[in-house]
Amino acid sequence: MIGFNRSQVIGAEFPDEDTVRFTGIQEDHIYGMEILMEVGISDACIKSVEGRMKRYTTFVCPQAVPVLQTAVGLNLREPGWDARVMREIGRKGCEHFAEIVIECGRSFDLAMASRDLAKAIEEDADLDQQRFVDDWFENRASAVGA
Amino acid sequence: MILRFLRNKVVEVEPRADGTLFVSWRLTDDLMNIEIELDVETPSLEIAEARARVGRLAPKAVREMAGRIDRVEGVTIGGGLRKIVKGLLTSEGPGSIVADAVLESANAVILHFTRPRIQANEGANVSEEERIARSQAMIKFNPRLIRSCIAYQDDSPLMKGVDLSGGNR
Repeated sequence: MIGFNRSQVIGAEFPDEDTVRFTGIQEDHIYGMEILMEVGISDACIKSVEGRMKRYTTFVCPQAVPVLQTAVGLNLREPGWDARVMREIGRKGCEHFAEIVIECGRSFDLAMASRDLAKAIEEDADLDQQRFVDDWFENRASAVGA
Repeated sequence: MILRFLRNKVVEVEPRADGTLFVSWRLTDDLMNIEIELDVETPSLEIAEARARVGRLAPKAVREMAGRIDRVEGVTIGGGLRKIVKGLLTSEGPGSIVADAVLESANAVILHFTRPRIQANEGANVSEEERIARSQAMIKFNPRLIRSCIAYQDDSPLMKGVDLSGGNR
């Protein structure tokens, strides 16, 4: 029998030319939480974040909801941004909120690569998709100096 | 508005009859699918074996790093794990997803052992005072909880009576 199970679901939509809107859900045997987060495409900064705590372990946990606002303005291209989220939102607020914000942030490039690949396939059905993805990430790494 | 990207991720911990733990971490999204499996010894929590499978359009860095996952074999889940795993694999670029998968699997192992203790604190017959007392006992048992989140900051009601230097105040 399974002793512990956690599921994360991250969705990304593009409501306008300069915004990615993420919805993140984390459910496990112990905790249940959701995040709604918008990120600017041009500056990779978190524009807004909201959180909903559904299942938690202590009566103090909901006090972590306002702490989420410290993520606004955070740049997802900044080295160590994920460690900063864990420090500022996780340790001072809720580690599980931080985990979802980090997973949304990690999905930032992938969501854009996925959107760009879909557009490229529309223009060229015979596109070498693997090459497109490899080139996309290589160019992205060069662009951000990674 | 429809989604342009969707990621599903599952991590499971399953105790085996021989006392070891089998950890399965799986991810699928629009671009890639990855499966990581760890065999973890108990009570040492040493990673005895690590396997990875990568498919669909995973970026080159992910494919390369998945091929090096056996580097974490012999590593013990415990203090300093993050630094060790990031050092053995990578913390940079898309390939870092493999190290993150190992760390999330290790976190799931810890939560597997935490779950029964949290469950014991639940139930209608447990008063608020008793619940706080049990939380404080948990803090004494696991001091790493101190300042790990808002519930265990110095000014939290759960920390009342807990001596941050070691004993009770």
